[in-house]
Amino acid sequence: MNTLVLPDRRGGLRKNLAAVNWWLVIFLSLLAATGVATLYSVADGSWTPWAANHIMRYALGLVILMIAAFIPLRFWLSLSYPAYFFSLGLLALVPFIGEVNMGAQRWIVIGGFQLQPSEIMKIALVMGLARYYHGLDFKRVSNPFYLIIPLAMIGLPVGLVFLQPDLGTAILLGLSGVVVILLAGLSWRIVIVGAILGLMGVVTVIQMDLIKPYQIERITSFTNPDADPLGAGYHLAQSKIAIGSGGVTGKGYMNGTQSQLDFLPEMHTDFIFTIFGEEFGFFGTVALLGLYLAVFLIGTNIAMKAKSHYGRLVTMGICITFISYVLINTGMVMGLAPVVGVPLPLVSYGGTVMLTMMAAFGLVMSTWINRDQDTLRTSMSYYGRIN
Amino acid sequence: MVFSRRAALFSGGSMLLFGGIGYRLWQLQVRDHEDYQVRADNNRFNQRVIVPLRGEIYDRFGVPLATNRQNFRVLLVAEEVKDIAGTLAEVSKIVDLTPQEQERVLREVQRKRAFTPIEVADNLSWEDFAKVNFQGPKLRGIHTEVGYTRDYPFKDQTAFVVGYVGAPSDVDIDAVGDDEKTERLLRQPGFRIGKAGLERSHDEELRGKAGSTIVQVNAHGRVIEEYPNESDKSIQGGTLGLTIDAELQMAAMEVLARPVIEPKEGEEPEKISASAVVMDVETGDVIVMASTPAYDPNEFNVGIRQSLWESLNKDPLKPLINKPLAGNYPPGSTFKLITAIAAQEAGIKPSHRVHCGGRIWYGNRYFNCWKRGGHGTLDMKGSIKHSCDVYYWDLAQRVDIDKIAEVAHRFGLGETYDLGIGNQSAGVVPSREWKKNYFASTPERQTWFPGETLSVAIGQGYVTATPLQLAVMTARIATGKQVQPRLIRAHADGVVPPPASPDINIKLDDLIAVRDGMNAVTNEWGTAARSRLEDPDWQMAGKTGTSQVASLQYDARGNRIKNEDLPRHLRDHALFVAFAPYENPKYAISVVVEHGSSGSGAAGPKARDIMKAVTAKNPSALPGFNPATDEPVKMASLAYELPASTNPGGGSR
Repeated sequence: MNTLVLPDRRGGLRKNLAAVNWWLVIFLSLLAATGVATLYSVADGSWTPWAANHIMRYALGLVILMIAAFIPLRFWLSLSYPAYFFSLGLLALVPFIGEVNMGAQRWIVIGGFQLQPSEIMKIALVMGLARYYHGLDFKRVSNPFYLIIPLAMIGLPVGLVFLQPDLGTAILLGLSGVVVILLAGLSWRIVIVGAILGLMGVVTVIQMDLIKPYQIERITSFTNPDADPLGAGYHLAQSKIAIGSGGVTGKGYMNGTQSQLDFLPEMHTDFIFTIFGEEFGFFGTVALLGLYLAVFLIGTNIAMKAKSHYGRLVTMGICITFISYVLINTGMVMGLAPVVGVPLPLVSYGGTVMLTMMAAFGLVMSTWINRDQDTLRTSMSYYGRIN
Repeated sequence: MVFSRRAALFSGGSMLLFGGIGYRLWQLQVRDHEDYQVRADNNRFNQRVIVPLRGEIYDRFGVPLATNRQNFRVLLVAEEVKDIAGTLAEVSKIVDLTPQEQERVLREVQRKRAFTPIEVADNLSWEDFAKVNFQGPKLRGIHTEVGYTRDYPFKDQTAFVVGYVGAPSDVDIDAVGDDEKTERLLRQPGFRIGKAGLERSHDEELRGKAGSTIVQVNAHGRVIEEYPNESDKSIQGGTLGLTIDAELQMAAMEVLARPVIEPKEGEEPEKISASAVVMDVETGDVIVMASTPAYDPNEFNVGIRQSLWESLNKDPLKPLINKPLAGNYPPGSTFKLITAIAAQEAGIKPSHRVHCGGRIWYGNRYFNCWKRGGHGTLDMKGSIKHSCDVYYWDLAQRVDIDKIAEVAHRFGLGETYDLGIGNQSAGVVPSREWKKNYFASTPERQTWFPGETLSVAIGQGYVTATPLQLAVMTARIATGKQVQPRLIRAHADGVVPPPASPDINIKLDDLIAVRDGMNAVTNEWGTAARSRLEDPDWQMAGKTGTSQVASLQYDARGNRIKNEDLPRHLRDHALFVAFAPYENPKYAISVVVEHGSSGSGAAGPKARDIMKAVTAKNPSALPGFNPATDEPVKMASLAYELPASTNPGGGSR
């Protein structure tokens, strides 16, 4: 299965830096800065415990991004399966050495660092699937037989995350996996059949009581949060009040009453968008969405321009994973999606998400820098595809 | 270009979803902004009720009968304390805290939010309170607070007039209806409403107006900031000035409680259940309204202990019954005054003479006069002076029952009065009409028999009256005016002039014979000669009454058993009514001693002693208290001592 890899173009650091897509870096930095400012406000005007850490993590993330960017794409290609299996291994370790937090086991501690393997898996899965379809003849993409391996690659981590239990991440994980398969060109007929089968699977899961009551409650509560303001829907009702009371221009930085008076839950992580919305208003939230959209469009542009099939699959997969975080998080705090525990990337406080996201954008950057190279010139499948 | 198509599809889809998110933001932040703004403010702003101070109740000279006493309390805020048990132990070195009380505090700490103050002790003495304050800096989390509790300095002495307050019950709160602010006021911890007496009937006036303040709270309910509301301050309830004279009230209570029979050596003095009403005959002011035994209303304020409640409830002397208003007694011979007036109106002259041979034959049996040997021949004055039964049996055969009933009503019997105190008994003034209604379900018993008139004529049979009604009757006989009793003489805005009392529709001559008879009772060696007032300016005219509680009791040989040999609850009630001075009357009194055996023996001397105190002070002649202009009397400056605590064991710390 291994492939012939052509030597990379040699170039100095200056040449490499010039090749970097600085727009992507700028927009990512603006997002991280928004996170820092909001975290500073959430902590009642204090750098501790979150804002200062957030800066350091972003700085570290930026270093990781740059390193990843300068790693040749073909090297990433060869690293894809190992990365996937490494992440799968970490996920499998969670039930044994994981830390229990809020009723779910999500974290493992390695060398003093808290890791959330499910977050790493989101990128690793995209890499693994991209690697698989990179080496697969396009004619075989829609062959059900060649669907077994990718589905297994998706199913294993999704199952493990689901058992933690972390329904939100499991859904997101499955979603990004399916997206990569679709990007690879899976026939719509099979997609429709798969969707029907998947729906039946979900029904079975619910009927077998594999989903915990609080998860069902969380999912159903978003449809009518006012019915039970102090129960499952309380947080949602409060977060809508925060965003809505922000109005067009917001209550002003550090002046959000909902957040400063503790009406909001998990203000520094999953509900950070509500504080931002309360303090900066409609202009602020639209601007923030604009930043996300800009990152997404830059990524999409990179994917379109990349000649490497692996590169463009990975980039597009990462971009869609990234944007689904944003859509689900904002949708959830505004009552459009169930409260499933998805952070707002680069703004929410959380090390693993930040670093994996930055590593992933490093991969995107690497795709950008190597956009003119085809990583598998000699592969037969390549020629089949471009015809 | 499958990839490009699909990538474009996903990008487009994502941007569409972004549009959806943007639309949602527009909904929340632009379209519905005002609604959410209101909800955010509702979240953080709470209206807090400020409890108004309750209006105070004073006697006719401004002596406080119900006041608001400063209540020194010790509170604990759990979140400020590391070692709660240790802190409580420190506090218990200053304030007496039983282990049970400490446990209660610890339980409340578990139950309540960490910043909610928990009451550790209340009703501290000033010394203890000062000590806790002094130790304050050392006792972290311990706070002191000065609140107010209702205080009745005269304790049981004025219990039935003033009443008491208590925590509002669910029924009280339901009765408020839609008034949200009042409902919230009633739900304030420590808030009290009137539960009995004037406290209850004038609750609205005494309660005052609750104020409010806006507080900003966080999600846990902790107050972050307070904004006082200048336009909605709390206003203290209105003052009530009563007609009661606290000093005379105490004197009357003391006199009433005195044993009738001197206790023998080593014997417990007998317990007396009695009541007295003293009225100003001109204004109707009720100067004394005493009922013994009574309860201490201070006990009810904080919630009465079950054991005390039960013992009060089971006491045969009925300390929970307001006897002057609710005690229903056969008036006995005091009713003869009514019969005599009715007879004169029916055309019988006071010179009408009847021979009393000790008994008469009527219907199918003998009626025995209380004096076995008979009184000889008496006119009307003599019949009152000697309280001859036979004379009135003679009148009963000449006067119709309905005439007697009509006169009785005119003189205030069978009526209730607007005193503001509930549970007034109307008594019974029997008539044909009354009997028909009373036996509505048994038509065969509705007929009035002439023999029954004989019983009513001497105040027995169906007829009953309350001590208040007897006092009103006496006042009306003394003045010939329709005197209306009243308890409230002043409100916060000033003194209320006494209601005008129109003349009773009666010939003055008809009253004179009765007044003459009453004068003879005390001053001309009549039945109550021992109860005579010596002061020539205050000659008292009275009438005794001894009313049967049960049918006459006979022993095995057919002799009537003497009262003293009967069990207490079968002994006759003793009554006495009087007014003074005989010329130009000022005060009327009625005294009822339950099972006191004899009106002249038990009730007369008590009435005399009370009247002696009343006439010596002559309160109606002294300037009264006007809440609008006068300062109330300071307790410390009272010329007499306040009553000692009724229950030395418990109550205040």
